[in-house]
Order: sequence, then structure tokens, then C-alpha cells
Amino acid sequence: MDEQPELVKRALAGENSAWEELLRGHSRKIYNLCYRFTGRTSEAEDLTQEVFIKVFQTLRTYDVAQGAFPTWLNRVARNHLVDHYRRTRKDRLTSSIDEDAGQIEERPSQIEGPMARVESRERRELLQAALDRLSPDMREAVILRDLQDLEYEEISQVLGVPVGTVKSRINRGRLELARVLKRMEPMRGQGTEP
Amino acid sequence: MTHMELENLVSDYLEGQLDTVRRVEVEAHLNGCPECKELTATVREGIELCRSAEDLEPAPWLVSRIMRATVGERKATFWEQAASYIRPVLHPRVAYAVAMGVFSFSIIINVAGINLRHIKAQDLNPRTWFYQANRNGHLLYARAEKFCYDLKVVYELETRLRQLRQQSEPGKGEEPKQSPPAGAPAGGSTEGQQPSEPLLALVRNSKLEIGNSKLEARNSLPLRVGGPRSSSFDFRISTFDFPVSNSQTGSVSSVRSITQ
Repeated sequence: MDEQPELVKRALAGENSAWEELLRGHSRKIYNLCYRFTGRTSEAEDLTQEVFIKVFQTLRTYDVAQGAFPTWLNRVARNHLVDHYRRTRKDRLTSSIDEDAGQIEERPSQIEGPMARVESRERRELLQAALDRLSPDMREAVILRDLQDLEYEEISQVLGVPVGTVKSRINRGRLELARVLKRMEPMRGQGTEP
Repeated sequence: MTHMELENLVSDYLEGQLDTVRRVEVEAHLNGCPECKELTATVREGIELCRSAEDLEPAPWLVSRIMRATVGERKATFWEQAASYIRPVLHPRVAYAVAMGVFSFSIIINVAGINLRHIKAQDLNPRTWFYQANRNGHLLYARAEKFCYDLKVVYELETRLRQLRQQSEPGKGEEPKQSPPAGAPAGGSTEGQQPSEPLLALVRNSKLEIGNSKLEARNSLPLRVGGPRSSSFDFRISTFDFPVSNSQTGSVSSVRSITQ
């Protein structure tokens, strides 16, 4: 991480290899953030590309004194995702939740064993399916809090709402998520039975 | 505390952000309300599920795609271009085909008898290659054929010799003992031994010369072995009696090639 400012300087100087190194170092995390918001791999790839285009265009505004590069990158990504999420909210409400169920990630880690990969994939699918059933407001709050580990104040800044509202949305989102998981429990049991 | 009040406080309770009084009230309600207790457990499970969620692996082409979208197509370096040309050649199928081509070419050159160190203009003509390869192939076949027939002759001769030995064995014990001639060289070394196997030797003019002794053929058996093509062999098998010791006699059979 100590090399990040140097990489940013080299990227700003027009060195493509430095920009590529930054991309390779952060694309996975940004991609996962996008996937949590969208629940679709193809849309997550498009959003990841949009985020990095925005980062590439605004790289000169990054100031080392304001914080580490990953923090700045995450902030840019979250802002872009929240904007995108709100823009497409109506489409999401009218679209079928399960239409993209078959596109859930099929590239498990090569390190884990087959059973661990299956279990990991099942948990991932269950969580994504449950998140997809939340309302957009509650969903983005839960993602930022429980998947991105942001503080209430940070979420408040990203979403542009008071901290009290953030807390309320997170609480209601967690309750809704628990109910959805409860309803999905029989399906989960069927899926894991041999 | 009502169910609704508990639902409003469940996140703060699970994150440990309630003061002692509120926490005691929540726990008291949970102890008396199985539904709220189950709901709280499920909320905790959901939070743990979110926090333990593992990252996905993005598509391998994602970085290249973003690179194209940001800085455009990157110009490949000289070595990358060279590697892109060589990479298809290094494919196992191509390498195998090239190796087989080289191997076949070397066989053709070898069979055609072309010396690459002293190559001539006519050696470059494929017709010459074909002619030489055809000629050498036929020669090789003829040699192999001759070798097979030679083997056949040898086995035939051995069979005939065995027959002759079996014919001569019943009368051998009745033959009178002969004293060895003076200067007979072969008798001394085999004294006291019964020559059970006939010796095979090449003779000239039906005479066998061993030292100073000249032995005449006792009997002579012509043998003709014909081949399917132009080759035929005439052999003559002769058996000679000669003394090998003071008290014993021996015999030797010789094979002489008359024509070939």
C-alpha cells in the first residue's frame, strides 16, 4: 500500500503500466461492491468499468493528504453506485427478482475444496437473493453497513441523509433481511439436501 | 416492552450500543417472548452472513476491458509481438507436426543416399530422391529376402547333417579300430573322447586336409535348395572318416558350396 501514491503519480504522468497495476490491485474489490449493489455479474462488470473511468478522469483531484488511495477509490465507487442505484430504482422495482438467478458467479476460488466452494457459493447466492428482495433504501444502507463496514456517519455522507435516518433504514433493512432469510430457509434446506 | 419497541432496538442491541437499562429490558423481553428471540437470532445470522460473505472473482478480461476504455489499446512491445508470433508455433500439435516433418525428411535423405555435405545439383531433383529411395528400398528388400533363404538353407543343412549322423551311428561301433597315422594332429587333443558331434568344415575337391593327413570322402550327398526367384543353391555334403586316437575313429562332415 505504500507504493500507491507513487503508482498514482506515475499513472498521472501517463505511465500506462502504473495505471494497469492500480487497476489489477483494486478491480476485485470494486467489482464485488458493484455486484452487491446490482446482483448481476454483467451489470457489475459494466459498473466497475464506469467507476474506473470516473477514477481515471478524476485522478488529478486525489490528494494524498486526504487519505489513502483505496479509501478515496471506495468513496468514488460508492457515490457512483448509489447514484446509479437511484437512477435505476424504478426499473428494479418492476423487474423480476429471479430473472438473473442463473448468472450468479460461476468462478469459484481455485484454492478451496469442492465442498467448501459449493457451500460458499450457496451462502453467496442466498445472501444475494435475500438482498435483492429488500427495498432499495434499506438495501443500500445494509450493504454499506454490513458488507462495506462503513460507520453511520460515513453512510450518512454517502447517502446524503441524516444519521438517524441511516440507523432507521439499517435496522429495518436487517429485520427485513432476517424475515426474507427465514422465508428462504425451506428452499435452502431443499438445495442442500443430497 | 412491546414487540415493536424491541424491533426498533434490535440493531443497537446486537451492536452493543444500548445502555444498561435498555439492554436489561430487551433481554427480559427476549426471555419471555420466543418469537422476538427467534427474530433476533435471525437478524444476527443475517448480519454474520453479510460480514462473512466472500468476494467473487471478476472475469479475467475485466482489467483489459477497462484498460481499453481508459487508455485505449496499448501498443505491444517488441518482445510481446515476437511472443505472439511464436506462441502458435509452440502449440503441441504444431511442434509435433514439424518434428514429424523433419524426421520424415531425414529418413528420405538417408534412404536416398544423399550426402548433405557434398550435395550435387542432381541431388536436389526430387526424381533423383525417388529413384534412389526406390533402388535402396529394393536392395534392402532383396538383402532381407536373401538372408531369410540363407537361414532356410542353414536349417535344411543341419537337418540333413542330423540325418546323416543318425545313419552313421549304428555302424560306428562295429568299425575296426585303426591306429593313428604318424603325425596325425587331430588325434592327440581328443584322446579318450568320443566325438559325438560331426565337425563342419569346408573342403576342396572332396578332400579334407588336417595336418599331413588327407582324407577321402566316405560318402557324398548332393543337396539342392531352390528359391522362389532366381536364386538357387547347390550344396554337397561329404562325410570323412579319420582317426582321432589309437583306439577310436571319428568322422567329419563338410559342406561345400558348389554354386550360388
